[in-house]
Amino acid sequence: MGLNMPIFNDQRRKLLTLLLAAPALFAIAPAYAQSAEEKGLEIAKEMDRRNEGFVDTTSNMKMILRNRAGKESLREMRSMVLEVQGDGDKSLTVFNQPKDVKGTASLTFSHATTADEQWLYLPALKRVKRISSKNKSGPFMGSEFAFEDISSQEVDKYTYKFLREEDLDGRATFVIESVPTYSNSGYTRLINWVDKNEYYPVKTEFYDRKNSLLKTLEQKGYQQYLGKYWRASEMFMQNQQTGKSTTLLWEDFKFQTGLSEKDFNSKALTRFR
Amino acid sequence: MKIALLCVFLLPGNKASATDDVDESNPSQELQSEAAEEASQAVPTALEKLLETLEYRGNVSLELTGFLASADHVADQSFSSSLSGEVELYFPLSSGNSSIVATPFARLDQHDAERTHFDFREFLYQRNSDNWEFRIGLGKIFWGVAESRNPVDIINQRDAVEGFTVDEKLGQPLLQFSWFKDLGSIDFFVLPGFREQTFAGVDGRPRFSTPISQNALYESDSEDRHIDFALRYSTAIEEWDLGFSAFRGTARDPLLLPIFGTSFTDVSLQPFYYQISQIGFDAQATLESWLLKFEWIHQQADVIANHTESVIGFEYSFFGIAESDADLGVIAEYLHDNRGEASTQPFQNDLLVGFRLALNDEASTEALLGSFIDLDTDAIIVTLEANRRIGNSFKVSLEAVSYLNTANDPGLNQLRNEDYLQAEIAWFF
Repeated sequence: MGLNMPIFNDQRRKLLTLLLAAPALFAIAPAYAQSAEEKGLEIAKEMDRRNEGFVDTTSNMKMILRNRAGKESLREMRSMVLEVQGDGDKSLTVFNQPKDVKGTASLTFSHATTADEQWLYLPALKRVKRISSKNKSGPFMGSEFAFEDISSQEVDKYTYKFLREEDLDGRATFVIESVPTYSNSGYTRLINWVDKNEYYPVKTEFYDRKNSLLKTLEQKGYQQYLGKYWRASEMFMQNQQTGKSTTLLWEDFKFQTGLSEKDFNSKALTRFR
Repeated sequence: MKIALLCVFLLPGNKASATDDVDESNPSQELQSEAAEEASQAVPTALEKLLETLEYRGNVSLELTGFLASADHVADQSFSSSLSGEVELYFPLSSGNSSIVATPFARLDQHDAERTHFDFREFLYQRNSDNWEFRIGLGKIFWGVAESRNPVDIINQRDAVEGFTVDEKLGQPLLQFSWFKDLGSIDFFVLPGFREQTFAGVDGRPRFSTPISQNALYESDSEDRHIDFALRYSTAIEEWDLGFSAFRGTARDPLLLPIFGTSFTDVSLQPFYYQISQIGFDAQATLESWLLKFEWIHQQADVIANHTESVIGFEYSFFGIAESDADLGVIAEYLHDNRGEASTQPFQNDLLVGFRLALNDEASTEALLGSFIDLDTDAIIVTLEANRRIGNSFKVSLEAVSYLNTANDPGLNQLRNEDYLQAEIAWFF
């Protein structure tokens, strides 16, 4: 009987998509009266559409956790993601920091409608453990990111409502409210600021179960890959209630590296470094 | 992690470069050094490549143990310290599909010469393709799903001297071929060579009051050179993870036979390793907050009764208890052996009840409280484990084990004075 590590999961692009999408409304007012819900959904679908076809990505990620006193601690991991048409993505993540979990890896098959499937590899025991994916609102590795913040984002996981257009620090954005439709979310709603030209999220506010502002996420340093896919290189999550924060830094994004289903099974999980 | 820095000091190539300082007025010395430089060039590039791609991780750990009562045996120290270290060295080979991994482990123990030991947990050459994997060397394999005990987990011998609550294993000589498809994977093992279980020595604690002899007996004439075979098919179907296994060879857990010396009180136990054939099945269903677990084996042997052993249980998790980030898991498992009192292993009719608390904080603070209850004798083993990280590289752990109500349990009664409290600090790199 040994202690396990806390359950974790992760996905890289999910961070992006997470924040929902917003599509664009081709600015000119539609000829018919579109409801705010229809317009919100349209934006979300457009964001999703614009991220389709990336096939696979690999990247490195650094997480800097800061407590209220400003004391920092570091997480470092590497991951690869395989796009699955018509369902959630498959992903593998392995930790490099903190050192006591170095080599610990997770495999996730995310699904749009049913529960995600998730396995954890504990290298000291050579043990692959199937773990529950129910814990949506828990913190990822002690950070300000919850599991649901970094899990595969599907259009169907939220309902949407277009709120307004807004100039955010000189950037034209759509502001959309989204409400989780899946169970066990820690949020009543999210407010997303979405770049009006490129449809990527730049800012998100998370409201807790009491509908108080819990966290604010800012995404910066966007770069375009393959002339199509936008990825932020820095994400800053500020907990408005505790004063703690987490910075996520992405490095070494690679697209279409030739991964396939065969790289995402329990054997691959034990080999991933 | 690359260790390019280390290479600077280790490589012959760098030593050769030191010859630049050679006094040029001495031509023979210069000639010599040139030859040395040339000769060293080929070796360093190969070695350099290897070292540049080396990845490693490991830990060094100091363990302090205090015993709460005087022992019933000669090793009556109330305090013990021990230092251990392990490092996994991973060398990817040029093809990218093959590698060598070596994991030496060593422990120094203040009192127990048996616990002071060295082992290669792994020393493997491995090669894989999309659909298959081949491994040869010393390896470590885990099968099973349960928390209390894994009857199906048969490939490796336990390094039991490492402690009651840890699942440490000795590196097993093996040749493994695995083949995997969407439907699951098949692992075939040839196991040429057997490792004897480690036990605390006469000077070690905790241990049974009757000492265990280091001279084992075998049923097979080949003794520890008997070649064993094992096979496993495993698959995941939606919320089910299933494993079917078979094994033929030397039992990992020995019978302990009493042998008497010159006087009636001079008794010790001699391990006897017998031949078995075993089939096994393990399953886990992952249903939201529930993990349902089952392990079962049927074992046939000439020297003991044919029998089945099983573990059935669950783990239920409460996520985010009391509006915090903490999770609480409740574990219950029932362990059964159909030989009942005649069972050769201690968990014939036992219950494990456990609570696992994970604070999910930045230090990954965790605690696990477990109780094994023998439903025949009412004896109880209580274990408490807790740990948290300090900074990015250190981890502190506390462990307490207590044997309660052992009067009706002759086996566990030998441990009644072996309750202990242990603190450990480990540095990870």
